Amino acid sequence: MRISTTRFGDIGIDESRVIWIKGGMLGFEHLGRYVLLIQEEKNPFWWFQSVEDGSVAFVVINSLVVKQDYEPLISDDEARLLEISSPEDVVLFSVVTIRSDPFKVTANLRAPIVVNSKKMLAKQVILVDPNYPVQHPITENKVFSEEKACEKGEIISSALVM
Amino acid sequence: MLILTRKLGETIRIGNEIKVTILEARGKQLRIGIDAPADVTIHREEVYQMIREQNILAVETARDNSTGKSLSNIWNRLKNPEEEV
Repeated sequence: MRISTTRFGDIGIDESRVIWIKGGMLGFEHLGRYVLLIQEEKNPFWWFQSVEDGSVAFVVINSLVVKQDYEPLISDDEARLLEISSPEDVVLFSVVTIRSDPFKVTANLRAPIVVNSKKMLAKQVILVDPNYPVQHPITENKVFSEEKACEKGEIISSALVM
Repeated sequence: MLILTRKLGETIRIGNEIKVTILEARGKQLRIGIDAPADVTIHREEVYQMIREQNILAVETARDNSTGKSLSNIWNRLKNPEEEV
């Protein structure tokens, strides 16, 4: 199918790679379908692009790139809602807030986008644990392995856009 | 706003499936128990607002035309923090 986006113009996406986000992203509750777009190979910053509103796109990053020991507690209710049967199917993304200084870019660890990559179902889950900050400086993790940082994207991404 | 008075241990029912019970009062703090279906999300208001505002800010700052280019720069800077640009 084709979608029209403000940033990338008209792009072709694989319909089976459309992610349904339950309840929508907070603040954008009316939008339920997104695709993950990779702008540049070997760059772990990806686009979480709304299918329904071409002007809405989040920059996201695999949460484990930002914090290697990230272990958010997902409740049984949420796991059921996302039809998660195996932890291996789960991919966690953090919403990134861009700043002009690269070293001040932050990722939201308090409300990860939990994706069931098998079913392409997702939810932005607000964690109970207050130790995960909404504005986590991404430079805090000094170990950036390029391969590891990018590996999960290919599984669920819809398209590579340049 | 509907205002009701409840005693400790008493419950309010909202619709058919949501129950809110006053469990404990300690000074100015109240402990509240909530029973609701799994698809009803329950959050502390201030946390909910904080996430909402951060999402909106994230979309707004990403909307800038230069963001795509910035993402390459940001990643390069993070990989090679010592290098001068």
